[in-house]
Amino acid sequence: MIKLNKKTQFFLTIIFIAVIILLLFTAKENLNSYIVRIITLIGIYGIMSVSLNLINGVSGVLSLGHAGFIAVGAYISSLLTMSIYQKEAIFIIQKVIWPFNSIEMPFLFATIIGGIVAAIFAFLVGWPSLRLSGDYFAITTLGFAEIIRILALNLTSVTNGALGLKSIPSYTNIWWAWGWLLVTVIVIASYVNGTFGRALRAIREDKIAAASMGINVYKHQLITFVLGGFFAGISGSLYAHWLTTIDPRTNTIGIMLTFNILIMVLIGGLGSISGAIIGAGLFAILSEVLRFFEEPIKIFNFEIAGISGMRMLIFSALFVLIMILRPKGILGRKEITWNNVFSLFHRKGDK
Amino acid sequence: MKKILIVLLICVVSISSFATIKLAALMPMTGSVAAFGRMIYNGIELANELFPTVNGEEIEVVLLDNKSDKVEAVNTARRAIEVENVVAILGEVISGNTIAGGAVAEESKVPMVSPSSTTPLVTQDKEYVSRVCFSDPFQGLAAAILAYEIMGLDNTAIFIDVEQDYAVGFANYFKQKAEDLGKNYFYEYYKSGDQDFTAQISDAIAKNAGAFFIPGYYQEIALIASQARQLGFYEPILAGDGAAVPETIEIGGDAVNNLYFTTHYDPGAPNTTENAKLFVEKYTEKFGEAPGTFTALGFDTYMVVRDAIERAGSSDPEMIAKAIRETVEFPGATGFITIDENGDAIKSVAIVKIEDGEFVYSTTVNP
Repeated sequence: MIKLNKKTQFFLTIIFIAVIILLLFTAKENLNSYIVRIITLIGIYGIMSVSLNLINGVSGVLSLGHAGFIAVGAYISSLLTMSIYQKEAIFIIQKVIWPFNSIEMPFLFATIIGGIVAAIFAFLVGWPSLRLSGDYFAITTLGFAEIIRILALNLTSVTNGALGLKSIPSYTNIWWAWGWLLVTVIVIASYVNGTFGRALRAIREDKIAAASMGINVYKHQLITFVLGGFFAGISGSLYAHWLTTIDPRTNTIGIMLTFNILIMVLIGGLGSISGAIIGAGLFAILSEVLRFFEEPIKIFNFEIAGISGMRMLIFSALFVLIMILRPKGILGRKEITWNNVFSLFHRKGDK
Repeated sequence: MKKILIVLLICVVSISSFATIKLAALMPMTGSVAAFGRMIYNGIELANELFPTVNGEEIEVVLLDNKSDKVEAVNTARRAIEVENVVAILGEVISGNTIAGGAVAEESKVPMVSPSSTTPLVTQDKEYVSRVCFSDPFQGLAAAILAYEIMGLDNTAIFIDVEQDYAVGFANYFKQKAEDLGKNYFYEYYKSGDQDFTAQISDAIAKNAGAFFIPGYYQEIALIASQARQLGFYEPILAGDGAAVPETIEIGGDAVNNLYFTTHYDPGAPNTTENAKLFVEKYTEKFGEAPGTFTALGFDTYMVVRDAIERAGSSDPEMIAKAIRETVEFPGATGFITIDENGDAIKSVAIVKIEDGEFVYSTTVNP
């Protein structure tokens, strides 16, 4: 095991970020907008999975309400960025209520407000329900997410009900998505690696032991939950401005979304930030790349018709395979850090 | 082995890149609304088999499945335009996803024609998104005319599926026409997937409903109808094009007899076009059963786009988009189709009644 000193690590990280920016820049300039949009989606999924990983993987409480916070962020920010004219045009059943009918603000502020409102919701949910533990907490959060969705369906004068919002300006580009991902990773990584994070890990391993060592379990978990909710709100805003339309269907902002994010986290490795990003990347890329299996195959004059749904079968089979071969996810609880990377090469070098 | 594979791959790639004019069908072939996607795609496929060329060039239809999902609706639209380089898009099926995919088509200036998205928001402020079906305002109007003027009913209980944008929008326009006519109505709410409607039905009976109007999808229409009959409600039940699938009769059985619904098309309607006859004949030949409404709409989507390419005389997406909106009295399978400058089809609404487990054409409401 090699230990690099702090300065070298910091230096390497800066270079790494610069390389990523360069790669994204080249991708944006040279690849077609279809691929660029998928790369943007990886960034958005990345924020979703890193923030869920903070709650589920690091603090050790199982939350199934992530889509609820994403929905809050998505609706709030979209209502703030949409032009007044658009809002008048799409609310055809009931007019939109004050203050949304007279506000139009830049994307950055709308996103931050979306995140803050989601964080407030996270506090309101977490405050009473974090006193519960394990499965009970999971059920409460699941219920919360469904309440948000039902509210979105029925508060017609705020959310346009089942019709959903459309013509949301498509502000989310590769820079917004990956920029926010960078912010998310920096904030969550420094939070997890500090004193606070160590206390969280102690809670995750053994709640009673941690409490007897003087750690305020409830307070630590609540702060983590609110932070996770904040970044879920941010990702919701990016998601809405990427899709340009949202509605309260289960597979847009409902329970299916939570499960998809949970899959990303578990595939990458529960408790690992870099794992969560890898999981998000795999999820976004595979569902498009595997389309290959649905295309009709022409060999000379024989044409084999494509079977719709084939890619979902292969997709699931791949994930089952990963879970069998690596039950703790691709990275497990490990992180990709400079120390780990160098030790890996070093060991190989010895042989 | 590897070499053989590579050679094969090159052959596959070179052969499959021969077709000249490419269209994309963005369809939910899997997921919650797969039934609609499959019916519509059958119609597109049939049209492609019968009319495979335009302006002397072959038309290739690329099918992209979006598993009824919004994120995928956006991604497939991007893929169709950027990777497959199509000149026009056939689809999407449900309104919410057409809105999502339509934003991409609009941005890339590629025409998109939806077979079945009826929400007005789909074509609102769009230059490249059109549809071959009527929109909710007109269907709501036709349903209200049917209920209040043709059948002379009053005090209608409107059953709204709060989860479906289609149902919410449709009911809203029905309500507006009811208010214009000075007739009474009241709402009952349910959501997709509900099984038990006895509470709402009892409430509606207690309020002396003169008729039920259910602007939802077939599953719930059939269940509400059968539970209403069990609870002793014998007044007329009306529905929209969500009932225009054989499943309504399969699930509803005897209870859906005498159910009236508004729809895009019925094979029994008079003054059908040549294409309609051809479509019914060839479909029956191929699949051994009578075609449904959505299959006919799929057929028309392809035909309208092909006609537009022919009139534009080129495969330039912008010229095709312009030609689509200049479609006048095109003889499609669902009747004569005229697309106005907003991209909405101006079509008459067919009213169909279910009698002894069969769809029977009743009358037509013209725009």
